[in-house]
Amino acid sequence: MAEIIIDDKKFEFEEVGKVLQFILDNGMDLPFFCYHPSLSIPANCRQCFIEAGQMVKDRESGEYELDEDGNPVIRWFPKLMTACSLDMADGMVIKTHVTSEKVKVAQADTLELILINHPLDCPICDQAGECPLQIQTYKYGPEGSRFEHKKVHKPKRIQLGPRVILDAERCINCTRCVRFTDEVSKTHQLSIVSRGDKNYPITAEGQVFDDPYSLNTVDICPVGALTSADFRFKARVWEMNQTPSIDVTNGKGVNIDLWTRDNLVMRITPRFNKEVNDHWMPDIGREAYRLFNENRVSKPIIKLDGDQVRSSWNNAFMTVSEKISSVKSDEILLIGSPYASLEDNYAFQNWFNRLGVSDVYFTPHIEKGYGDDLLLVDDHAPNTNGCKALGFKEVDAKKMAKLLSDESYKAVFILGDDLLSRVDIDDSALESKYLVSFATNHTETTKKSDLVIPITSSAEHIGSYINVDERIQRTIPAKETMYTNRKLDLEMSMGRLDHFGTKFDNWVSDKNRVDCIPAWEVLVRIGNEMNLEFNFASPQDVLEDITDKIPALENVSYDRMDKENGIALKLSAPKSVTT
Amino acid sequence: MNIDWKNYKPILIPAIKDLHKIDVYEKNGGYKALKKVLSGKSKMTPEEVVNEVKDANIRGRGGAGFNAGLKWSFMPKPDGGPRYLACNGDESEPGTFKDRKIFEYNPHSFIEGAIIAAYAMQIQTIYVYIRGEYRDFIDMMDVAISDAYKKGYLGKDILKSGFSVDMYTHMGAGAYICGEESSLMNSLEGKRGYPRVKPPFPAQKGLWGRPTTINNIETLANVPLVINNGAKWFKGIGAETHPGPVLYGISGHVNRPGVYEYPTGMLLTDLINEVAGGVPGGKKVKAVVPGGSSTPPLRGDSLDGVRMDADSLREAGSMMGTAGICVVDETVDMVDFTWRISGFYHHESCGQCTPCRDGTGWLEKTLDKIRRGDGEMRDIDLLYEICTKMEGRTICALADAAAWPVRYALDRFREDFEARCKKTVYALA
Amino acid sequence: MSKEYTFDKDDLKKIEEIKSRYPEVTPAVMPVLWLAQDKFGHVEPAVQKLVADTLGLPQAHVQGVASFYTQYYKKEKGKFVLDVCTSFSCQICGGYEILDHLENKLGIKAGETTEDGMFSIQSVECLGACGYAPMLQVTNDKYVNNLTTEKVDSLIENLKQGKMPEFESIPMPQHETES
Repeated sequence: MAEIIIDDKKFEFEEVGKVLQFILDNGMDLPFFCYHPSLSIPANCRQCFIEAGQMVKDRESGEYELDEDGNPVIRWFPKLMTACSLDMADGMVIKTHVTSEKVKVAQADTLELILINHPLDCPICDQAGECPLQIQTYKYGPEGSRFEHKKVHKPKRIQLGPRVILDAERCINCTRCVRFTDEVSKTHQLSIVSRGDKNYPITAEGQVFDDPYSLNTVDICPVGALTSADFRFKARVWEMNQTPSIDVTNGKGVNIDLWTRDNLVMRITPRFNKEVNDHWMPDIGREAYRLFNENRVSKPIIKLDGDQVRSSWNNAFMTVSEKISSVKSDEILLIGSPYASLEDNYAFQNWFNRLGVSDVYFTPHIEKGYGDDLLLVDDHAPNTNGCKALGFKEVDAKKMAKLLSDESYKAVFILGDDLLSRVDIDDSALESKYLVSFATNHTETTKKSDLVIPITSSAEHIGSYINVDERIQRTIPAKETMYTNRKLDLEMSMGRLDHFGTKFDNWVSDKNRVDCIPAWEVLVRIGNEMNLEFNFASPQDVLEDITDKIPALENVSYDRMDKENGIALKLSAPKSVTT
Repeated sequence: MNIDWKNYKPILIPAIKDLHKIDVYEKNGGYKALKKVLSGKSKMTPEEVVNEVKDANIRGRGGAGFNAGLKWSFMPKPDGGPRYLACNGDESEPGTFKDRKIFEYNPHSFIEGAIIAAYAMQIQTIYVYIRGEYRDFIDMMDVAISDAYKKGYLGKDILKSGFSVDMYTHMGAGAYICGEESSLMNSLEGKRGYPRVKPPFPAQKGLWGRPTTINNIETLANVPLVINNGAKWFKGIGAETHPGPVLYGISGHVNRPGVYEYPTGMLLTDLINEVAGGVPGGKKVKAVVPGGSSTPPLRGDSLDGVRMDADSLREAGSMMGTAGICVVDETVDMVDFTWRISGFYHHESCGQCTPCRDGTGWLEKTLDKIRRGDGEMRDIDLLYEICTKMEGRTICALADAAAWPVRYALDRFREDFEARCKKTVYALA
Repeated sequence: MSKEYTFDKDDLKKIEEIKSRYPEVTPAVMPVLWLAQDKFGHVEPAVQKLVADTLGLPQAHVQGVASFYTQYYKKEKGKFVLDVCTSFSCQICGGYEILDHLENKLGIKAGETTEDGMFSIQSVECLGACGYAPMLQVTNDKYVNNLTTEKVDSLIENLKQGKMPEFESIPMPQHETES
């Protein structure tokens, strides 16, 4: 196998890649700015300098030549090389800053040069704390600057588009943002303008940076030149917790991170998954953070004399149990949800099965033409395939309206979905029915419900979702509810504020905890009320039950989903192609 | 080595009236080389042309001084797809004003050379990239190209040889960096003139990802001479390791500035004192920039025996570059002179690589500080350090071109810099 | 107010001819920017947009290219733009003195335009006329070589009367002595 020596250590490799990527993949460090694994390589920042050489092979014997001391003879490249653009080769020898003083000096030199025209306004810059320039300057930069002249001034606070703001003085001209719009989103909305140290990226005059993926440029900007108009100045990076999750606003199942502070989701950023979304996510998915914070159903709501009033959990559970006892099983209409997790949907189905209700219906939320060639698909819901895997009966909106108008149903249970916003139905048709909805947010559906039971959102529970490509992925709780506790739930992340915040400071409060319970747990508790044999203790329990019963989900576990970044399922036999 | 320059008759741009007109050019042996290559008994294969030119050792006249024929030989075997020749007439290095003489007085020698080059490398399309300021010269070239089409030297089935090639001019718009070959290609492709990372080299992946060779205008104008007279004859002109006629552009403090054609290997002192008539007012030569602004300046008192060829100039501590010689007399302060060169590179840096983008500005600003009388001795050390941070650390050679004049001006004219710097006085407690 | 810019039939024909020289559309951007500047006198953003739309290229790309090259006027300039070379050969032969003279004469600084919109002055980099220093170029076109203050004065007078200088052929000294 081919060999490469990096800082005196030997590594074997099969695929010829770039030296920088190999170094990073093997857990070593090398500073860089312009390189991005999913973009073309301009090698313009000149930060990832290394010394590179090639061991000399004797042509006849094919063996490496040795010098008098028995060490291999190395032919060094005369200049420092940029590791990002250098192809690996068998017998290559690399020296990074770890073993080469020359490299160390060159890296500090480049940083000193980058910083001479950089404003050094870290204290007021959103990027501080997660800024590659700041981090690498601390690690590899010079102690100070000897630049005693006026810096180059460029436009600041330019609203490039609805979501992105430019500070051109902070820009280090890595061109990542321009390459993103040229190579990934392909809107070609950005270009570097001017020349030399006056260079900076911007849209054409009069053009709005409304690229539906524009916020990715903020993510990949290695400085604070591009910041998010929405998130700007809202939180410092070190105050937040970062929790891996799944985008629940689209069927693609983009992998994301939820950034929370004091149990509010402050922003959403993409999380790398080569199989799903690479490093990217659509802007629209990031706006979902509001869904987790705002307009939440907190505490059950019950309709009394036409008014919706808050109720106690006990009252809610008793009401459900009474309602169910007063109707026959074929008078109950069950509506599952492509928005709810696999676990919640399954618990819903399984609980009512025990009462003799076998059919669960659902209506997918598909908008033809909504999708694009990148990461948005026509399916708005994250778990349509989950409903299918559970054998729910798929009906379109028209049919769903018919079902809902069917006089023979006396009670309707709707799981976690604003169904009525996409089903055209007259209010009078619902009047004769008792409508129970399990909901995360106040919606058209909850408004019309006789009983609303608040359930946890994907930011608060563990739940699995099967995306349009039949990949099962799961969420991890990022926000506490009234009944969960970071310090007890070992899966929840802990940030500085969670560790050190107290009730007596200004930073931590309980007001952002929602009074809600996971849907499966609600059902367990109502089941207790009704002496029903339904005893799940955790989402893990629910998932195990699912994987036991559904062959396509055999061997699926949270552990595997975590380790394998989701699991590709085969839900149905591939359809034969007709020509 | 003795060059009988006084009896030298120009051959690259001979003194023939109206030579730029195609009929006059033909009457004086023009397009004979092309005919020799493409038709009749003398017909040469592309490889034979490459080898002849390689043997002649025409070293690139654009500045790098690389053997043109050797460069041609790097082109891969034709695969049926398009291949390109880009002719570099960007001519933007301060001190350089020679290709314009070819455009004006002997455009067909270049066109003929380019067609032969295209044949040798099996190229179907030639672009002539000329700096945008040379509007009049571009017009002249367009006329000459159109005449060559009319006569059947360009276009389809040239001289019934089956070989076809097209030629177009492409007008620059004010960017020195576009004289760098990979930047020139990006500019031709309608992009910002950013140099490209090498490898891949142009012969592997050039214009539109296809095999491409870039040659200087003057380099190509030498090709018909080689074909007509043979490599051996060509090698007999001028310096042994750097042969041929060369266009010397002499500017600055001389009595008769202008472009002169002489063999390589001329004594710099002959060029300054004899050819260009010496320094006005009998002043002393303080400095000479021998080959365009990026070549290190030589001291006026170290010119004895220095010849205008790659070897001799390397020995003297400079380079041949474009053979654009700028003579500086003793009245000039080298701080001002160096500052202006730095200003040029600061203005022309494309801004792609950090060391050049930010280093060129730092050099200029520091030199300006010294120039204004605010400099301190430590600024001289700092200038050296900035040069070190830039040299060899960028995608193209512009950073080197910016750093060398500063480094060597500091080395060779330090007294000028020290004189302008404040002497820091430490009080004894 | 932004003016409306359009290419006429002849322009579009020329643009088609330009496009035919290259295997792709993008390379046409520089020649078409030139064509536009010759027609409108500048390539302000609205003109850049016209070029982009005509060629079917992203507007940002055209802006990136136009702003890289100094000869494209991204803002309207005076009727005559006087580009005074101050690069080193011109510097040591009096380029700055010529610039000073022009600035004083026209009452504006390099980079500015006279109030009547007649003249703009720019201090520019080497124009490739080093042997004929000091020199200047008029509006990306004719070179005026071996300048003296008197020559500058008469140039300004001529330009005021709309008289552009003519192309000056400067032979090689060797040719002069031989013929």
